Amino acid sequence: MNKDVKISINGVAYEKSVPLRMLLVDFIRDEAGLTGTHIGCTYEGRCGTCTVQMDGEAVKSCMLLAVQADGREIATVEGLASNGRLHPLQEAFNEHHALQCGFCTPGILMNTEEFLKENPDPSEAEIRRSLVGNICRCTGYDHIIDAIQTAAKRLRQA
Amino acid sequence: MYPAIIEEYLAPATVADALAAIAKHDGEATVFAGGMSVMQAIKARLIEARCVIDLGNIAELRGVSVGPDGAAIGPMTRYADLVRDKKLHGAYQALNDAASTVGDRQVRNRGTIGGSLCWNYIAACMPPTVLALDARIELTAPGGGKRTVPIGEFFLGALETVRRDEELMTKITLPAAKGKAGSSYKKWSTQVDGLPIIGVAVYIETDGSGVCTVARFAVGGILPIVKRSAAAEGQLVGTKASDADGIARATAAAAEELDPQGDRWVQAAYRKLLIQSLGGEVVAKAFERATGGAA
Ligand SMILES: Cc1cc2nc3c(=O)[nH]c(=O)nc-3n(C[C@H](O)[C@H](O)[C@H](O)COP(=O)(O)OP(=O)(O)OC[C@H]3O[C@@H](n4cnc5c(N)ncnc54)[C@H](O)[C@@H]3O)c2cc1C
Ligand code: FES
Ligand code: FES
Repeated sequence: MNKDVKISINGVAYEKSVPLRMLLVDFIRDEAGLTGTHIGCTYEGRCGTCTVQMDGEAVKSCMLLAVQADGREIATVEGLASNGRLHPLQEAFNEHHALQCGFCTPGILMNTEEFLKENPDPSEAEIRRSLVGNICRCTGYDHIIDAIQTAAKRLRQA
Repeated sequence: MYPAIIEEYLAPATVADALAAIAKHDGEATVFAGGMSVMQAIKARLIEARCVIDLGNIAELRGVSVGPDGAAIGPMTRYADLVRDKKLHGAYQALNDAASTVGDRQVRNRGTIGGSLCWNYIAACMPPTVLALDARIELTAPGGGKRTVPIGEFFLGALETVRRDEELMTKITLPAAKGKAGSSYKKWSTQVDGLPIIGVAVYIETDGSGVCTVARFAVGGILPIVKRSAAAEGQLVGTKASDADGIARATAAAAEELDPQGDRWVQAAYRKLLIQSLGGEVVAKAFERATGGAA
């Protein structure tokens, strides 16, 4: 069974007819062609690499049906940079070597962008807890923490 | 993993419309709250969701109100909303504690208190919390008929409750405190904020001099369902925050009475130890919240 949906992703409206069982993550990747949002576990909703924002809140896009995003605003990693300039989080991840394979990075960025709005001056412990839903197999997290701290500072000063 | 064919998706805006849709499908529809448990089950093909009824657009099922008669919580209130809700501080603060340690940020942005109670997973955080808070659960059937079930009768067994397939959970109410009251929840998991090996929720009411007059001590993570310990509650009444021996006797009595089982991951003795140590911490916290740190 299909349904017509209109889903806005990074400000662009995508109007499609989609099967009801299509996952939001597959809509983003296959229908909108935005492959920055990754699929790691797809089953338990544990790995977090599919994290996007729906109406400004971090959610795991493999845990939602595409039809649940009908009429809503989705933000993905492709929308983070603006006017050709990387987001302060992206710059800090680059400077601190906070990614190795980079598979987890889009989800971490989209989760953390919301987290820093909620808590602009987090402690290291708070940052670590904010990342429970995002698994990184490469970095050991230390550089990710450093990058988030740097970005938080710059965002506070901005 | 991909869900099996879904034939219909409805996102009604009112409880009445949701109940009408449930009736039309003869109780065979799959209700979505936050979807954080049900989507796992659908993708694993444990549930075949021919028709999905998403409660996400029903504003009347969301929100917290606290007044002289107690508290009323909409089942679609999300963990993220509970975490931030200062109205719950003091008597109902165990809800803030429990909500803030469920899963991860993304799960807390979607998952709901009602979904957790209806799913009734053995180690979930909300069941012991609302049990300690002596909640009453309002269930509404198609046609609008309501019944209210005391929380002690709501949970039947692992993943089972007294809710009938055609009923929706429409409200969770908590009684008003008679004296000064405080509550607290804490869990221990193998990973930070993971599903707990043991979770303990405690509610304490005190008289003017800080002596406990009412105690409710509930434990999750034990088979077959979340339980209260009458032995611990009996021992806690009459204690004060400073009575370390009395509190230790109470938590030891809980570990003895609830007699948790061991499994592949954890020995029974470890679960007993956790009931005692977490129990001591949450009792101290609940006293502190009830008395404002005095006594
Ligand atoms: C990665 C991850 C980590 C997690 N960690 C924890 C944890 O640490 N502690 C914990 O307690 N839980 C944890 N959970 C589970 C989470 O709390 C779920 O949100 C919760 O169990 C179900 O809530 P939901 O709103 O998502 O419900 P759903 O999954 O949408 O629904 C659950 C069930 O309840 C039914 N239902 C829901 N609302 C109603 C209603 N109003 N009336 C009738 N039926 C209804 C549904 O039909 C379904 O059968 C975790 C989940 C994930 C994915
Ligand atoms: S793909 Fe792993 S959480 Fe979504
Ligand atoms: S950089 Fe490889 S998983 Fe995080």
